[in-house]
This record gives sequence, C-alpha cells and structure tokens, in this order.
Amino acid sequence: MEDNKEQELKAIRKKLKELLVSHLSLEDIKPEEIKDDEILFGEGLGLDSLDAVEIVVLLQRNFGLEVKDMNQGRKIFYSVDTLANYIYENKK
Amino acid sequence: MPKDNKPKIFTKIRGNRLGFWFFEFFLKAFGLRGAYALLYGVALHYLLFDREAVLGALSYIKRRFPPGKSFLKNRLHVYRLFVSQGKQLIDRFAVLSGRNLFDIKLKGYDELVALLSEKNNGFILLTAHLGNWQIALTTLKNMHKPVYLMMRPEDNPAVKESLKIDGQDSFIRIISPDGYLGGVVEAMNILRSGGILSIMGDRRYGFEGIGVSFLNDEAYFPFGAFSIAAASNLPVVVLLSAKLPGNKYVVDVSNILYPRYNSPKDKKEQLKKYLEEFVGILEKYTLEYPYQCFLFHDVWS
Repeated sequence: MEDNKEQELKAIRKKLKELLVSHLSLEDIKPEEIKDDEILFGEGLGLDSLDAVEIVVLLQRNFGLEVKDMNQGRKIFYSVDTLANYIYENKK
Repeated sequence: MPKDNKPKIFTKIRGNRLGFWFFEFFLKAFGLRGAYALLYGVALHYLLFDREAVLGALSYIKRRFPPGKSFLKNRLHVYRLFVSQGKQLIDRFAVLSGRNLFDIKLKGYDELVALLSEKNNGFILLTAHLGNWQIALTTLKNMHKPVYLMMRPEDNPAVKESLKIDGQDSFIRIISPDGYLGGVVEAMNILRSGGILSIMGDRRYGFEGIGVSFLNDEAYFPFGAFSIAAASNLPVVVLLSAKLPGNKYVVDVSNILYPRYNSPKDKKEQLKKYLEEFVGILEKYTLEYPYQCFLFHDVWS
C-alpha cells in the first residue's frame, strides 16, 4: 500500500517537474535538476506570481484541481513535494 | 510581477472626516456647484503645500503639455488637474450616497453583456486612474455580479467610509495584491467561477512592469492582467470613464482585448503587444481629456 502511494507520488512529481519546465520561464533547467523539496517561489527556483498563474492553470488542466482555501495556498505551493502531495490527496 | 517578498509601497494619507463632512454639508445645502466652489481653495492648498502630489502630477503634465519649461504654466496645469479630480471625487460621493444627478452614457455595454452571456466565463476589467473609475464601476451593478477589485484596501478610514467600497452592502469587493502570490490564486478562482476581476492597469504596487511608450516616453506598466487572461483564455475589457460638460459621464467598455500566447517561451515579450494596445488607449484618452488623468505617480521612472 505504502509502496503504491510512493510510486504514485513519484510519478506525480516527475510530471509536475516536466510541466513546470515546459510551461514556466525556467531557462536552462532540466526537470530532473529540480529537487523535490526545492522552494518554488522567491528563493529556491525563484518563481514569481506570473508563474503562479501558470501553476494554477496547470493544476486545473492536468489534474482537474483547484485551490479554494487561500489559507492552504502557501503550504501547497511551497515545493514540488507539497504540490504533489496536494494532487495525490485531492485527485478525482 | 512580484516575488512574494515584494516591497510595500506607502502613500500619503490625504483628507479626513471633518473635510468630508464639509463637502457633504455643502453638497446637501448648495448642491454640486456649492461643493465644487469649495474646491478651488482646497486645490490651491494642495498646489502650494503638497509637494509630493505636485511632483506626481508634474511627471504627467510635463509630458502631456510639452515643452513644459514654464514654471507657472505647469503649475496652472497641475491646479486644473487638482480641481478636476476634486470635482470627480465630489461626483463620486454624490453618486454613492444615492443622488441621481448625472446622465451616464454607456459605450459598448451591449457587447459586454453579449460576451458574458456567450459562456458563463468571467473576465478581467482593466481600468486606470483616468476619469472616475468608481462611477464607472457602479454602472456595472446591473450585471448582478460582484466585481472583485484588486487594489490595496484604502488606508484612510475617512475615504473608505465615504466611498462605501468593500462594505457588506457593496457589490465591489477588494482583493489585496499584498496577499499570498499577489492575490493571483484568489483572482483565478474568481474568474473560474464566472466572476469579474477588476485590476488597476497603471499601478505596479512594487511589481515588475514592462516598458512601453506613453506620451512619447518609456513608461512602466504592470502586465499581470494580461498574463492572467492569457493563461486562462479570458478577455480583458478596458473600462474608462470621462466627465463631460453638463453633469454627464461617458463610460466606455468597448475596447476588448484577447491576450493569448503563441508559444510557452518568452511569455513576457508576448504580452507586451497587448500592454502597448492598452497604453495606446490610455494615451488617446489623455489627448481627449487632458485634465482627467489622475495617475499622480511617475510611471516613467
């Protein structure tokens, strides 16, 4: 059971990294170079709110998900790990 | 667009409850003209003693009225601008306090309604500090949808009370750009549920801008509205209003832009043409209504 969850999370993280690289203004970065726990906004990957718009759309188009609770936003958008966990917990 | 730890911008608080009480009293007792009469002294006070406001206005005046070398001429333009803004503040107060004193003509309203009825999608209403944007917004009340205005909540309690923005009975709600990720997650949710998101297209709030030509000089404007529209495939409706002689206003929503990306690369560069189109609309407005441009900050710096 735990193995299945970890496999699934791994696949989500991989897909997320590919989507981030293909849709955001990340230049000269390969998906595999993004660490699972790397901070997305500000320090770390250095994304900004222009990228946040894209991530919100990515979540919706690729995973059918919305972030409705603003208080959770900071936690969910923290890293690839936290985003993947949110997708795993909420996927339809 | 900002990093999350963007700097905060502070603006000087102007006006107080006593001042607003005076204007309200004159409005009730002597009508619009009586309240307007008070303005000439108030505007002179700001011209003489509010250096920050004068400098803010001069950055526009010098470009709108070149060559802009004469000290006195420039001050006269600033004075006229202050009086014009004062009149529009009084008009706004009169409208929001339920006085039906103005004939407001809507340009492009039917097209906007048609756009809304096509799909139950939201749209972005892009406005600026040109004319009376608050009166312009009140004309959208008939759409029976709340308008979510992305702006800093009014710091001045006297202004907040008088404008009745973001109150329980107001159809205008505020989303602060100081929120997490500049409030974009909240903004996207509103649009997805078919809501109207209004953005001030001339205020960067410390965010990154794109340099475009405005009144023959490079100025920096925010591009957040266009990035949200392009990412979510929604239109940008430009909302402008102008005061006309004889207690009339025209509210123009006829300019509709459809920002889209052609490729996932250089998105900022791709948004530039839409921003140029928007700023071109603003420039045309300033040529037609030179004393209704209330930017009051140096977008050229």
